[in-house]
Amino acid sequence: MIRAPFTLAGFGRGVRFGLALALPIGLYGLAFGLVAAQAGMGWGWATGFSTAIFSGSAQLATISVLQTGHATLTAVAATVLVMNARYLLFGATLQPWLSQAGPARALPSLLLLGDANWIITMRAIDAGEKDRAFLAGTGIPPLVVWLGGTVVGAMFGSILPDPKALGADLMLPAFAAAMMAVMVRGPASLVPVAVGAVSALGVGHLAGPGWGIVAAGLAGAGFAALTARPKGHANAA
Amino acid sequence: MLPDLPAFLLVAAAAAVACRFAGYVAMRWLPPSHRLDAALRATPLAVMAGITAMALAVGGMTEALALTLAGVVALVTRNDVGAAVAGVAFGAVLRAFGL
Repeated sequence: MIRAPFTLAGFGRGVRFGLALALPIGLYGLAFGLVAAQAGMGWGWATGFSTAIFSGSAQLATISVLQTGHATLTAVAATVLVMNARYLLFGATLQPWLSQAGPARALPSLLLLGDANWIITMRAIDAGEKDRAFLAGTGIPPLVVWLGGTVVGAMFGSILPDPKALGADLMLPAFAAAMMAVMVRGPASLVPVAVGAVSALGVGHLAGPGWGIVAAGLAGAGFAALTARPKGHANAA
Repeated sequence: MLPDLPAFLLVAAAAAVACRFAGYVAMRWLPPSHRLDAALRATPLAVMAGITAMALAVGGMTEALALTLAGVVALVTRNDVGAAVAGVAFGAVLRAFGL
């Protein structure tokens, strides 16, 4: 079986794209480290959580649950599953492309998956990226600065500037807006944009941004599936 | 503070890995079709639109200007990564000036 390319060159290309994420994700890591320290977690445990979960929203929510003093294993598991439910969609959309690298390369690559590098990778696939090591490459700079930020934040967070003042919270929406602008090609591709935006606003307002993202993906996918025509006809998306 | 921290860490890690793998693995059992293909192609755009819309909804003038700049620069230059970085930097500058 001929496998798709998975080379050092593709990995390096991904790293270069991932470097653009480094500063805001590092700042976000600082914020998590600070929150973890304030919750009484040492820098070692904080770094352990950043390594094992590698998802800011899930980690912050987990800290909140732990701080109640009544946390259970089930509650912690449910919190991470709910906060990271969007990764189900991310993994599903990557599968047709990434699976051609084989499971031994695909599954470890998925451990480096995050919101922003998923967006970058989907955009790269859309532009014709063939090398499946690209995804892993995009995940390395964010992971390194995420861990570094966590350590520094947990040790020195109280004397560091507010990450929001430096625009850390704008990183994900700015990447989404910029890449969406480039990926929209013609009126037909505005349909999933509109469906996703309306769904996210409705559900996100009621259930939080994590579910808003899930709703956007499911609604966009569902609408496209329902309105799709077989090859040879014009498609809705 | 938390005597069960190792157990909490293990459970959280398992849940995080499950989320990253489950969608990918589940796709193996979905038969290929033009509807599935359309759904997969539409999902990234829908998610990106959702993220942008929610940020605009909860943000103020600074967030709107920063994201608009990111989108416009991406459209003009076709350099989406550079445009996103420019949007973040612009937002930080606006905040530094108290906007």
